[in-house]
Amino acid sequence: MPEIRVVNFSKHFGKVRAVDNVSFDVKDGEFVALLGPSGCGKTTTLLTLAGIYKPTSGEIYFDDQLMNNVPPKYRNISMVFQNYALYPHMTVFENIAFPLKAKKMSKEEIEKKVLEVTKKLMIDKLLDRKPMQISGGQQQRVALARALVKEPAVLLFDEPLSNLDAKLRMMMRAEIKKLQSDLGITSVYVTHDQAEAMTMASRIAVFSMGKLVQYGTPDEIYNEPKNMFVAAFIGNPPMNFMENFKVQSKDGELFATRGDIMVKLPPKAKEVKFEKTEGLVLGFRPEHCKIAKKEVENSIPANVYVLEPLGRDLIVNLKVKGVGGESELIKIFAEPGMNFEIEEKVYIIPDPEKLHLFDPETEETIL
Amino acid sequence: MAELRLNFFQRNSSKISQAVMIIILVLITSPILLGYAWLILRSFSVDMVHGFIPTKLTLKNWRFLWQEMKGYPNIWRTFLNTFWIALWVMILEALITSMGGYALSRYDFPGRTSMLRFILVLHAFPSISLMVAIYYVLKVIGLLDNLWGIILLKASLEIPWGTWVMKGFYDGIPWELEWAGLVDGYGRFEVWRKIVIPLVKPGIAVTAIFAFLSGWSEFVFINTFIFSQNAWTLSKYVKGIIGDFRFADYGLLTAVGLFYVIPTIVFFFFVNKYMIKLTIGGVKG
Ligand SMILES: Nc1ncnc2c1ncn2[C@@H]1O[C@H](COP(=O)(O)OP(=O)(O)OP(=O)(O)O)[C@@H](O)[C@H]1O
Ligand SMILES: [Mg+2]
Repeated sequence: MPEIRVVNFSKHFGKVRAVDNVSFDVKDGEFVALLGPSGCGKTTTLLTLAGIYKPTSGEIYFDDQLMNNVPPKYRNISMVFQNYALYPHMTVFENIAFPLKAKKMSKEEIEKKVLEVTKKLMIDKLLDRKPMQISGGQQQRVALARALVKEPAVLLFDEPLSNLDAKLRMMMRAEIKKLQSDLGITSVYVTHDQAEAMTMASRIAVFSMGKLVQYGTPDEIYNEPKNMFVAAFIGNPPMNFMENFKVQSKDGELFATRGDIMVKLPPKAKEVKFEKTEGLVLGFRPEHCKIAKKEVENSIPANVYVLEPLGRDLIVNLKVKGVGGESELIKIFAEPGMNFEIEEKVYIIPDPEKLHLFDPETEETIL
Repeated sequence: MAELRLNFFQRNSSKISQAVMIIILVLITSPILLGYAWLILRSFSVDMVHGFIPTKLTLKNWRFLWQEMKGYPNIWRTFLNTFWIALWVMILEALITSMGGYALSRYDFPGRTSMLRFILVLHAFPSISLMVAIYYVLKVIGLLDNLWGIILLKASLEIPWGTWVMKGFYDGIPWELEWAGLVDGYGRFEVWRKIVIPLVKPGIAVTAIFAFLSGWSEFVFINTFIFSQNAWTLSKYVKGIIGDFRFADYGLLTAVGLFYVIPTIVFFFFVNKYMIKLTIGGVKG
């Protein structure tokens, strides 16, 4: 299985810079997710890896081979498309056999391989049907079977689960992850669903507007987001932001303050060189807070606005008085067993170890 | 629990609307149907009274099928000429438009947009206004009074429009299907042949059908550029009977006319399936 290296890759369509100077690598057998909102260049990157687009500039390597001008059929890759791209005029069997026929395999061998892979994916009862005659979930499995059957060196996925319902998506998520790790095929997986990327990939490349913003393990992306975009994109509900904080030191400790709000920053903040100490954005995740009913030190006073019970969890929506009079909405996961009333006054206690500070102009992470 | 009560009209609403529809369709088509009925009756009768009642049945009007008619070419030869033209116009048009339409739909070559516009303008241009120019062209390449001249002429006049139609069918096929084919290990041409062509089959069929019918019914160019009787087609044969100097033989005229449309009707029966697909406009496999 090859290692993929993307070096300073750009792809422009006329004036549109779909992908702009992106570099990353995928290790042998690794599962990497390209994550980002709609239109950020994920599909373009994937299609270039597949050899369908040629880079405007930059290089694509599989191991040490430069692949820029190699047509798809010589790349030994498979791809699962978002809408599956099953051939409507062929039966399920013919669809899955199609890549094998390209290899000029014997009839018996093709039959054997198709049966093998369809058994594994539990679609061996559907072989005579046309794609139109099976459900979306089954179509998805056929697309997967077609990709796996030729035992490619590289597997490319373009949002393969986005057309499935939530339950099926969760199931296929686990199944694809298992298949990939069993087979050890180098895989690149495009998605705009952060949960998919977090659960499946060993490393995530976060894209925004054609640029690669951060590339790292799910842990790194979650705990050390490079900027506000990544911080907001990962996690559900996303990270809370509060504007206009000052950094002040008191008794040898650092605090972020705004009016009468004062929260303690972690000790590692002392190692940070602050270029500015005013007008910063404070960020903390909904799951990294506690809610107290009585006033405590280092807390943020707030009023209960709406409750969103999710069965196991309860998301409390709170309003915090902002600087100019308009208030900020904060979402927090409440501890189990707590009850709230609308408009009730409570106090948010963020975990100091998990606090972040951002520069609102560059949106870069300071802490 | 009691069933919800409906009155007669509510219960049978779909049947009633169907019946009304059929009555309306019959009324609309009756002039054409009556026309054909008259044609058939007249071709088997010696004469008609009150316009619609045959006096005596006969096969005499159909004698052209088994005996040489004085002043006319052999009917089977004429039939084959007509078929030959229709067939080749169909083959050329299907072949060229299925490739041209693909190029117009998929390749972004310089001049593509102006070409698309130009085709539309070209189509609006009455071909009759080209007669003189065509005459000279055919004369120079030596295809005057030659079936191939008519075939090439017909095909070249219809290919632009057919290409436009085929482009529409290709436009309906998502790029992903082609990409999937490329990724599955095929070259661009194989993908076109194995994936794209089967999906635009209804389009090719429709283009081919129209090409065939237009070749089959061609009259103006044949009347103008064909002189010798052994290159006549059925349309020219019919025209011959109506004749400029002859006394029109209505019995013969109706029989030949009927003979001329029979293949068209048979053809329609066979290709009905594709015509319906066209109206649905599906690339649904
Ligand atoms: N063939 C093309 N011609 C012109 N612009 C294109 C083309 N393909 C993509 N783009 C543009 O490039 C940008 C990136 O597109 P891309 O399809 O890679 O986005 P994506 O990240 O896959 O988004 P999505 O999640 O919606 O699929 C978009 O702004 C898009 O409009
Ligand atoms: Mg995409």
